[in-house]
Amino acid sequence: MLQFLLRRLTGAVVIMFLIGAFTFFLFYTIPQDFAELACGKNCSPQSIAVIRENLGLDKPITTQFWEFMGGILTGRDFATGHCPAPCLGVSFETSEFVWASIIDRFPLTLSLTVGGLVIFLVLGLGSGLLAAWKRGTWVDKLVSSTSMVLSSFQIYFLGPIVLGIFVYSTGWLENPKYVPFTENPAAWALGLLIPWAVMATIFTAQYTRMARSTMIEQLQEEHVRTARAKGMKQGYVFFRYAWRGSLTPIVTILGMDLSGLLAGAVVTEFTFDLAGIGRLAVNSSLSKDLPLTMGVMLFGAFFILILNIIVDLAYAYIDPRVRLA
Amino acid sequence: MKPLRSRSARVIVVAAAAGSLALTGCSKNETGNTKDESKSQKDAASQSKPVVYAKAAESTGPAAEVPGAKSGGTINVLMESDMSHMDPGQIYVSDAGQLANLLHRGLTNFQEDDKGNLTVVGDIATDSGTPSEGGKVWTYTLKDGVKDQNGNAITSADVRHSIERMYSKVIFDGPPYVQSWLSGDDYRKALPDGPYKGKHLPDSVLATPDAKTVVFKFKKAQPDLPQALAMAGYSVVPEKADTKAKYDKAPVALGPYKIAEYKPGKSLKLVKNTNWDPKTDSVRHQYVDGYDFSLTIDQASQSKRLIADQGDAKNAIQWTDQVDPTMIKDVISKPDVNKRSIKGYQPYVWQLSFNLDKMKDKKVRDAITHAMPSQRMIAQDGGKYGGELAGGLMGPTLPGFDPSYDPFGKLKKPNGDLAKAKELLKEAGVKEGTKLTYAYSSAPRSQKQMVVVRGMLEKLGFDVQAKEIDRATYYQQIGKLDNPFDLYMSGWGQDWPSPSTVITPVYDGDLISDGASNYSHINDEQVNKGIDEALTLEPAAAAKKWTEIHKRIVEEINPAAPVYYSKQIQLTGSNVGGVKYSVESSYIDINDLFLKNP
Repeated sequence: MLQFLLRRLTGAVVIMFLIGAFTFFLFYTIPQDFAELACGKNCSPQSIAVIRENLGLDKPITTQFWEFMGGILTGRDFATGHCPAPCLGVSFETSEFVWASIIDRFPLTLSLTVGGLVIFLVLGLGSGLLAAWKRGTWVDKLVSSTSMVLSSFQIYFLGPIVLGIFVYSTGWLENPKYVPFTENPAAWALGLLIPWAVMATIFTAQYTRMARSTMIEQLQEEHVRTARAKGMKQGYVFFRYAWRGSLTPIVTILGMDLSGLLAGAVVTEFTFDLAGIGRLAVNSSLSKDLPLTMGVMLFGAFFILILNIIVDLAYAYIDPRVRLA
Repeated sequence: MKPLRSRSARVIVVAAAAGSLALTGCSKNETGNTKDESKSQKDAASQSKPVVYAKAAESTGPAAEVPGAKSGGTINVLMESDMSHMDPGQIYVSDAGQLANLLHRGLTNFQEDDKGNLTVVGDIATDSGTPSEGGKVWTYTLKDGVKDQNGNAITSADVRHSIERMYSKVIFDGPPYVQSWLSGDDYRKALPDGPYKGKHLPDSVLATPDAKTVVFKFKKAQPDLPQALAMAGYSVVPEKADTKAKYDKAPVALGPYKIAEYKPGKSLKLVKNTNWDPKTDSVRHQYVDGYDFSLTIDQASQSKRLIADQGDAKNAIQWTDQVDPTMIKDVISKPDVNKRSIKGYQPYVWQLSFNLDKMKDKKVRDAITHAMPSQRMIAQDGGKYGGELAGGLMGPTLPGFDPSYDPFGKLKKPNGDLAKAKELLKEAGVKEGTKLTYAYSSAPRSQKQMVVVRGMLEKLGFDVQAKEIDRATYYQQIGKLDNPFDLYMSGWGQDWPSPSTVITPVYDGDLISDGASNYSHINDEQVNKGIDEALTLEPAAAAKKWTEIHKRIVEEINPAAPVYYSKQIQLTGSNVGGVKYSVESSYIDINDLFLKNP
């Protein structure tokens, strides 16, 4: 177990370094002077030279790369002050420390993810299990057809419709906004209610379909039929035998969805004008803000790698046949 | 001043002074029809008068009360992206320029009456300035009682510091005017480290004989100094509060509001500055308790929220963004929404600049100018609420603007005169299939306009190579002297209501250089000489001279085809009072805002 963890964590560090290096050098293949991008209205060659010096762009590319990577471990000094480790540099666009920008945006992304996750797991798995339990009945047909329709929806389509009805037309709800949970839990929940509901609608439908199909599959497995043949209670067989077996594919998909959401729910954030990691990622990329793009990518990669490891650990827990080595 | 300059989604307009026309904030259309209320050049012309320089009486606070104004509440500001800067020295664009009026104060400011007439008043100075030695020397005396947000009194040393720090590398984005006038175009060499290493400009350039007096000494007369000093870029940065590069994120306020919280790219909260004394300020008010800026609301969402006018949106305003072009009809057709709109000109004149190093034959330039389908170009930018046919290169927001001036007959043939153009090309001996490279920005509007321009040029028989340039560096690319393009669209507007801030930077041959804004590389001796002369004249006399120069540029040289004068339409929530179009900023006037039900 420990050996597995060490090996995977070492691999994760190497992968993150490679992602950082790839992103950094890929940026420099663009025929673009980053100082020009940061230059405003009064953009003379002298202004560009000043910006180049201020941003450290006058140094060789390899020096810039090692300074960036070194800053993650030791921190760096900039004209705007000391950037403590893990320092991901200073944004060309806002002159803000990248790490500070990410940390500032993360609570919203985390809130979106956690709130949405609770809703779509409870509703999605619940209705999937119900449909599987009542297979062939009107309940199954209703759940299956509803989830079929909803899973074909997209956030950018459903979001504006929900806003149009509940905010712009009736005024029953306010426009979505983020209030920190620690500041006002009720306002936090109310502000994110619409994004959660819309996000969860689409994810719920997907998880309903997945839970139903895997449960039906599991209910036909030999060990489940054996349990039934032994005269075990229906509910016990359903949850103790079939449910556990159906969890593996669900956990796999959940891990991927979760890492994707934590790395930035781009469409949700843009649809509801929220400022999370997803918006930061898109804007940094559009404005060719190298340090910010690298920072956001590394941050996203971190979650993907960590959740992959957690999912692998979960496999071993769910399915005793899996051994970590 | 150019729109959409370097940063993504940054709307660039003037820092302080912009339009010079008064257009009423609220529409009178209550019938729900969609007739053209986009304001006409006639409206504009009636307001394009030279700015008046005020004495002490007009400069003394408090500002006149706004009828019906109430105190309290918070205004929600909807913006698509963050402020470009908050350090006054770096501010040269409209988003930050608007903000500067709430946070910062300079020696002078623009005061605007109900009809949109502009007067330059003393802001922290007692008046708009006292000229001597034929306008080469300007003396300012500071008002009593002006303090920063920390309660420190502002002295002449702070003003000196604010000017001198603009010579240092800390500042790279602000206006260059006053420094250049004091120390020449290569002004940074005069004080490379600014004031930060104990050195100062000599008293022969900038003197502060006592704590209350500041004296500017120029080599040439600078009649526009009071207007230049009203730019946000020349607001005061108190010496003790200056944190150099860090100041851009946490400036110290002298104005009626100060920053309570700032999250770059996300939000900004302003609260009342208790050390601002209304008796020292003849322009600003402090009716609302504060402003909450949301910096992530795109233009379409802003428009939807304000049209719906529900909840928080009732207390909301647009800052420098506009009604989304796809929703203009929704605004105009609904009387209750339309009456909350603010319509007006922006100071830009969009033009098709010819690279004179490549397009040397005036007949060819004239032909393209005649053929230019200006109306179709406007259609790509919001239609009649987004722009208006341009006859010349001086916009309706400038003193001396003549709405009937139309040497290329664009008003009669708004979609171009191809027959006339072909005739001129024939005379010039231009062969079918002659190659032309047209550069355009990657901004959506420019991409749409490219199709129009390319179509027009192809109809004239040119083989057109359309070259897209990243919007973030578009002006840097076309500003290069050896750029490989034949023609490109560019927009320019004034920094204050004087042609000196348009004709000089864009058409003065003496200023041709890499990165400069003379995009056509026009270098005409008569024009250059006329500019030198006009720059030394008082505003009223100068306006006449600028008109002469303008005519020569358009008719005798034609370095750029006039296409359209830009316009804008903004919305506010129903609970926001004191709303009107600002002649000074070309946007909503933020000085008089209040909440009807706080």
